[in-house]
Amino acid sequence: MKNFSRISDEFAQAWTVTLKDIKVYYLRPGMIMFGFLMPFFMFFSFSVRREMAAGEGMSRLLALTIFFTAAAAGPFIIPTERRMGTYDRLLAAPMSLITLLLGKIAVGAFFAIAVAAVASFVGIVFLNGTVAQPALMVLGIIMGAFTFSAMGLIFGSIPTSNPGDVQMPSTLIRWVLLFISGVFIPLADMSPVARAVSYISPLTYAQDLMNHAVLGMGELNLWLDIIVLFVSGILFLLPSIKLHKRGRVLGY
Amino acid sequence: METRPIMTNAIEVKNLTKYYPATGSGQAFLAVDKINFTVEKGEIFGFLGPNGAGKSTTQRMLTSLLTPSEGQIRILGHDLAHDAYPAKGQIGLVPEESNVYTELTAWDNLMFTGRLYRMSKDDRNARAEELLKIFGLWEKKDVKAENFSKGMRRRLSIAMAIIHKPALLFLDEPTPGLDAQSARAIQKIIRQLSKEGTTVFITTHQIEEANQLCDRVAIINQGKIAVIDTPEKLKQTFQQVQSVEIAFTGTPEGIKEKLTALPEVSSVIKIGDKWRLYNDAPPILLPHLVKFAEEENLSILSLNTLAPSLEDVFLQITGQEVGTIKVPPKPNKKRRKGGKR
Ligand SMILES: Nc1ncnc2c1ncn2[C@@H]1O[C@H](COP(=O)(O)OP(=O)(O)O)[C@@H](O)[C@H]1O
Ligand SMILES: [Mg+2]
Repeated sequence: MKNFSRISDEFAQAWTVTLKDIKVYYLRPGMIMFGFLMPFFMFFSFSVRREMAAGEGMSRLLALTIFFTAAAAGPFIIPTERRMGTYDRLLAAPMSLITLLLGKIAVGAFFAIAVAAVASFVGIVFLNGTVAQPALMVLGIIMGAFTFSAMGLIFGSIPTSNPGDVQMPSTLIRWVLLFISGVFIPLADMSPVARAVSYISPLTYAQDLMNHAVLGMGELNLWLDIIVLFVSGILFLLPSIKLHKRGRVLGY
Repeated sequence: METRPIMTNAIEVKNLTKYYPATGSGQAFLAVDKINFTVEKGEIFGFLGPNGAGKSTTQRMLTSLLTPSEGQIRILGHDLAHDAYPAKGQIGLVPEESNVYTELTAWDNLMFTGRLYRMSKDDRNARAEELLKIFGLWEKKDVKAENFSKGMRRRLSIAMAIIHKPALLFLDEPTPGLDAQSARAIQKIIRQLSKEGTTVFITTHQIEEANQLCDRVAIINQGKIAVIDTPEKLKQTFQQVQSVEIAFTGTPEGIKEKLTALPEVSSVIKIGDKWRLYNDAPPILLPHLVKFAEEENLSILSLNTLAPSLEDVFLQITGQEVGTIKVPPKPNKKRRKGGKR
């Protein structure tokens, strides 16, 4: 009974952190810029001059926004909080580190889900896209949002109080992943080597999942996509935990 | 004799040590060096030391924000290394920076903290109202903290730290940089909390603050605790040590060493254009000083003998300027462990 109330307490605390961050950070220029405008800008600059079916365009736009937006929150919010000194409040509170991390992951995930909703709207209304499996699309958006938010959190966990320190590497790595992951070049068109490389990126599976959902077909097994996203989301927690412990030794 | 229940102390620290590890840009640094102390429940315990002494480092370890390199910490009976959770729920923390969420109103800042500490809605609302009124922020409850002055932010920060009625409150230099009125208001609140039974651990580099506020004071310098006692006892400890303050017309080479070498002088500090000489017997010293001035061809601009203050104790122990400092011998009488309450 006691354990149960502890668990429900921890969920409530995670949710408290999430709500607070939504209020405090969603309208910050850094979030709007890196989380909201950037993926749309990238999508349109890469789709210009390219013949693309509406469904295909929408599927890519979705994968791209979820990925880029979800992973933008962590590297922005945590270093900002460290700099303001407010992070100590969270670290000193009676909740486990995992709870705090889950709360922070949800912040990025919800932001990505909101942006993905806009992207779906753009896709359906302006690109005349049709969605083969709407329920799967919603599931894919939610899973991708949480997984990539957890990935962004790794960068946010790097012990520093300067968001600029982590913005660069995190943006760079996201770009690299974008290019190797079958977002701009479909898996089917890739050389065998490029394709082998693409399998190390979780974004590949998210894109494939979106293809299943929107186009009704993908290159890979649907269950493989789902399992890889789920497992990598959990594995992404490990470096964040380690880095937080390191931060507590270094004094951040 | 009546039997008393076994009291757990609010804080017990044994051999606490912090090395900041070497990083790309810096060398490993020993910030806190094997310190030991105990804070009893209900005390206001002052951690007094100059900048860089290791006060914040110690406090961050006590609040589980920083991992110690060595040593044990017990907070309210809980070993912080293995059993931090129950301790964390019972402490409140006012860090050096007034870490309020500037984008949130005063009210929302308090609600957030109350939720984080799992207070019920009714408790949160009642307590937030009470605190905002005590802290003179009730009229501003719906104003975002970004529009607050430094003093108001600090007050809000303290309100956030005590919304859940912690048994133990940590404050890291709560008053420097504030206007006198805000500083006084904060000191008053700390006294009030203490009356209500809260144990208070406060770091400061302001001697007067420690003197007026604290039941006991630890003086920390370069990561080591030099002495722990009540402000009164500290002054008494140094009672036989008095000081003479003297200003000359010039500053010949090696003057400090020569002054230190005079009879009965235990240490010398330069304060502005004055030299302060700590010594056990001013009557013996004064003629020597006059003779010294004659020999050095100096005129004496001013000369005062000073009664010991806590500042003297502090300067004696911490004055970095004083390379040759000799800490005066401790009196033989046994030092009392706790402050009188
Ligand atoms: N994160 C850190 N990494 C390395 N050195 C640090 C760190 N934080 C503090 N220090 C050093 O440790 C010493 C003690 O710092 P601190 O505890 O903040 O002192 P105080 O609070 O008494 O002014 C200082 O010399 C400071 O430069
Ligand atoms: Mg400090």
